[in-house]
Formats: sequence, C-alpha cells, structure tokens
Amino acid sequence: MLTREIIDEIKDAQNIYEEKLSEIVKKIPGAENGHTTSSGIRVKPLYTPADIAQSNFKDDISFPGQYPYTRGVFSAGHLARSASIRQVTGTGTAEDTNKRWKYLLSHGVTALAFVKDDGLGCRADSDDERVAGMVGKCGVVLDTLYDYETLFDGIDITRYPVHMIAGTAYALASYLIIAEKRSIEYKTLRGSMSNFLRNDNECLDIIEYCSKNVPLFNYGYLDMRNVREGGCTAAEEIAFGVSLAMAESDVLIERGLKIDDFLHRITWFVNASPDFFEEAAKFRAMRKVWAKIFKERYNAKKDRSLLCRMHCQTYAPTLTREQPFNNIIRSTIYSMAAVMGGVQSLSVNSFDEALSIPTEFSALLSVRTQQIIDLETNISKVIDPLGGSYYVEALTDELEKKAMSIIDTIQSKGGAFNAWEWMCGRIRKAAQKTQKEIDAGISPLVGVNIHKLSAEDDLQTKAMEILDKDPEFEGLYKYDESIVDRQVERLNKVRKERNDGKLKETMDELLVTMKEGNNMIPDLIKAVKSGMTQAEFAGLRAIAYNQPGGGPYVCAPPSLLA
Amino acid sequence: MEKSLKLLFSRDDFYHQRGYWVLARTFSDAGIEVILGGIQTPSEMVTTALQEDVDIIGSRIMQGDPKIFISLLFDKMKEMKIEDIPVIVGGIVPKEDEKKIKMLGVKAVFHPLTPLDSITDQVKNIGCNYVRKHKA
Repeated sequence: MLTREIIDEIKDAQNIYEEKLSEIVKKIPGAENGHTTSSGIRVKPLYTPADIAQSNFKDDISFPGQYPYTRGVFSAGHLARSASIRQVTGTGTAEDTNKRWKYLLSHGVTALAFVKDDGLGCRADSDDERVAGMVGKCGVVLDTLYDYETLFDGIDITRYPVHMIAGTAYALASYLIIAEKRSIEYKTLRGSMSNFLRNDNECLDIIEYCSKNVPLFNYGYLDMRNVREGGCTAAEEIAFGVSLAMAESDVLIERGLKIDDFLHRITWFVNASPDFFEEAAKFRAMRKVWAKIFKERYNAKKDRSLLCRMHCQTYAPTLTREQPFNNIIRSTIYSMAAVMGGVQSLSVNSFDEALSIPTEFSALLSVRTQQIIDLETNISKVIDPLGGSYYVEALTDELEKKAMSIIDTIQSKGGAFNAWEWMCGRIRKAAQKTQKEIDAGISPLVGVNIHKLSAEDDLQTKAMEILDKDPEFEGLYKYDESIVDRQVERLNKVRKERNDGKLKETMDELLVTMKEGNNMIPDLIKAVKSGMTQAEFAGLRAIAYNQPGGGPYVCAPPSLLA
Repeated sequence: MEKSLKLLFSRDDFYHQRGYWVLARTFSDAGIEVILGGIQTPSEMVTTALQEDVDIIGSRIMQGDPKIFISLLFDKMKEMKIEDIPVIVGGIVPKEDEKKIKMLGVKAVFHPLTPLDSITDQVKNIGCNYVRKHKA
C-alpha cells in the first residue's frame, strides 16, 4: 500500500538516482537525459510510482469497459475479438476492387474497407476531361449504383462489416439500396462510412436519418488520422477530434436530437505514429477525454455514448521511398502500439506507400503483420498490457491534461467550426517544423538522413526493380489506362438503360427537398435507384447550396484533412 | 532579382495535403510570391497562370497519374501560348513516370522527404532563368 510516507521515500530516492544519472549522461557524448515527445511533452529517462502518485486507480484508470474507459471501451477487449484486419482497398473499377477484396478475404482479413478515387471530389463523371488521370487510380471509381452493386457482388455484408471511405450521402444511399435488395432490414444493417463531421446538410442529414432508421450503422466519423498525418501532435489528434464532435453535437442538438441519440455512432479514425509509448498512451487518453467531456459537459446518460471506438491506420509520412522494405518494420512497430493501445480495427500501410497504391504482394504483407502480432506474440491475450507502467500512466495523464487545455482554447474561440483556421495553422506550422528537423538531421529517419545508401547500393530498391520487370509478377502497381475505357462503358450502360423521365422526376424532387432544407436521404435513394450518377448528385448540391463549380462534396472546409 | 518570383501552386486533389502546405510556407518564407491555386485541373491551372502572370507552375500530383496530368497540362499551356513557363512537380511520381514527364518538359520532380532548402534553391534557379529569358 503506497502511503504518502512511502511515496516521499521513493521521491527522495528518485532525486538521488536522477542526479547520479545526470552525472553519467553528461559524460557520454550524444547521450540524452530525457527527450521531448511529438506532443512537446518532456519525458524523463525513468518513471516511478512517485510520478503517478496523484492518480486514483478507481477514478483515473479503472477497468476495461468501465468509465472513464482508459483501459478499453469493452470489458473483454481483444479477448472477445482481435482488432479487425481491415486493409484499405481501392483500385481501378468496382470489378477490380471486388476481386482484390475476395483475394484479401481468402487470406484472412476480417473486415473490409474501400476508398474511392475521388477525382475532383466526385463532381465529374469518369468520362469528363476534368478527372483525366484520376479515374480508378488511387481508389475505386464509383460513378453509379451499378458500380456499388458490382463492388459488393458476392460479399456478405452481414458477415464482413464494410467501411466506406466516402463522405457522400450517395454512398449511403447505394449501400441502403443494396441492403434492401438483399432483404436486410435497415434496423439490423451494420457498416460504417467516413461521414466527416462538418457543418453541412449532407453530413447532418446522414446522421439524422441513420440515427432514426439505421441504428447499428456508424454514421459519423472523425478522421483524425489524416489530421495527424498533416502534422499535428498526439494531444491535438485527441483535442481536435473531440472538439469537432462537440461542435457537431451542438448543431445536432439544435436540430432537435439528444446527445444519446447519435453520439455512440460517431467513430474515430486514428493514427498509429512512430513515438511508440506516446501512441499507446494516446489511445488511453483519447478514451478518457471523450468519456469525461461528453459525460460532464454534454450530460450523456447512456454508457454507449461514452465509448471512443477506433479504427486505426498506421502512419505514412515516415514511409520512405528509399530502402522501401524498411517500411515493413516501421509499420509493424506502429501496429504494435495500436494493438497494445486497444483499437477496434486496424489497417497497416504497405511498404510501397511512397511509390504507389498496394499490390496483392504488398497488401498481403500488411495482413500478415496483423496476423503475426495477433497469433504469435501473446500481446492480445492481456487487456491494456501497458497499463500500470509508471511511464505510460504518467504519459496518459499528461496527454489528457494537454488535450483538455487545447479543447478549452478551441471552445474559447467559439468551437471547432470557428477555430478552423487556427487549427489548420497549427497543423501546417508543425509539419514544416518536422520537415526542417528531418532536413537538419535532428530527427533521425533511417535511409533519409542517416544510414543512407546511394541508388547503386540500395539493394531493396534494386530488388523492387527486378520484381517490377518480371511480366508475370506485379511488383509495383501501375495505372492501367484501360480502366477508363471499361468505366466509361459501364457508365454508358447505366445512361442507356435508365428511364430519363423517371430520373428527371426524382432529381427534381430531390432538388426541392434539398433547397427546402428537409432530410435529403429518402429522395436521394429514389434518385440513385433511377440511375442518377454521383456527379449528377454533386451538380444538384451545387444548385441547392449555391456552390459554383460543384463545391467540395466533403468536409467544407476540407483543408483540415491532411 | 529585383522582383520576387511568382509561383502558382496547385494540387490535383484534396487528400494528404501536408507536402503542399509545407512547401507553400517554405516558398513564401524564401521570398517567393505563392499563388495558392488549391485543387485545380490542368485547364484551371493554365487559366490562373495566365491571369497571375506567374514565373513558375508548381503541381502537386498524388491522386492523378503524372503522365496523363502533365500531358494535359502542357497541351493546355501550348494552346494558351504559355508553354515556356517552367513546370515543377512534387508528390508521388514513380521512377518511370519521372522520366516521361521530364521528357515532356517538366523541369524538376521532387519526391517525398526531399530537403526543403534543396527544393527552394532549385525552384529559385528555374524561376530566375525563366524571368531572365522571358521577362527581362
């Protein structure tokens, strides 16, 4: 039992130790006595119970599945279900991605995600010159319901939860239509979409509609992973995300919803960055801050509202072009922090991240990374294994404090939607500073500013070039322009087969609904069924919301997405 | 150089803008006047380049195929008679694509994690050469 007396004894001994350590380290060239994390937290070389003496186990740490959820959102954590293996997938046409999905499923992925090519924010059909070069290049091209149907062909969406990395209501409408065709009731339909929280009717309508009609679907999304990629710190990843959720909640509450109607279906997209212990502490602090803010400031009554559920993707800016196989090691380490941190779902970046989108070869390696961590290391057999580490508990507390302070600053500026420019400024300034530190060699990056190799000596790159030359093997993904021809054929098929009269009728009705500020989803479903394309929907948005040029369909302002 | 260089900086799509913003700030810190084009198609880039009378066109390519995007860009530039303005590209550009777009006329290709000073120096050289030849 750690009494005040014992803590003081430890503190005294710690002071003596720290002095001794300081003397030793002073004499070793290049040795650091402590370091600063990515969030600017000054970290000592050693932690003891004295450093977390103010922590109260019951109130601050508790148990998994119990407020404040520091140790995990669910009581059984990964014992009940390992982190889902959910590789981001999106390549070429819907047929190509369907094929890749089936390949990944046959190799053990446990959940699915697709990313759209999103050329021009999907404001143009694939035969429009404005999206030349982008059709099906960095994601799957989905112009029509027919494309979505092909994408989901032979995929059991009741068995494999699908995440749609698409912020548009068009994706939701298509998903609902497919469910209906398969006689899956909306009330039981699972899945999720990247409905980036923003103050626009499309986002709000999705949340409102689904909270009433599709209650098991995750219809709100906090993409803090990409904000972190943009350069912000771990504390900001927490604070900006919570602040966005607070701002969105304020708008929804004004629209007449109660906090417990929707909060539980807002899920997080989080990063797993290089600073290993800071990351593991971040996931813990994130859960704590979410639970505390929404219980104390929004008076959420239901436990499920306080659960910060996370899909995670590993960090990309450190995945180098040079010596690309090094990235396998990087992604593995980042993944371990995520698993130890208790995320619900994970996507591991592939080693060719700086070169192109993944091939079967590189995607499978990512899947194996998760499988090996899960099956061979015993990491998932203990819930919150880093809990109780004096260091990790101290870091968790520190991150919580920092995040709360940033949240309060944002609130003082009128909330996240008003503090947008401020947040963007911080992110971008930090990103520039990070790059300067890499350039100056202050921040080591193997292969880039230390342990560099000339092109001649970079055997990894040479190996990739050899693999790439083999006509039987896809070493590196190459954009195949025939994708455009195939897609245009699909598009023209839809245009030919749809009933123009019915289409006009449903689109006119949808436009009226949007202009009048009524929930667009029911009429959108009708219009999508009639063959309206994604781009035609964007055209209606432009008219309804007076956004010349089609407007950004996702996240206005989108600049926070990094 | 008496007047600062004017650079149009555009990107092909909205995801993953970190490099775009880091470079925009860096160019600006180095005294280059940066016209933020934001997300622009090749056509829109050419329109803005003309309107702003820029000395360099900078294109962030990640979502798009570099060969197709740059091909279109140069076609539009020729159409509007500004094919002499130097074009620099940064982003995800595989080795083969780099060769091809340089053959099309791109003056420099910058890959992720290229040191900022190196980019700025090269961009300034390229811009100043253009100004000396075409605007003196």
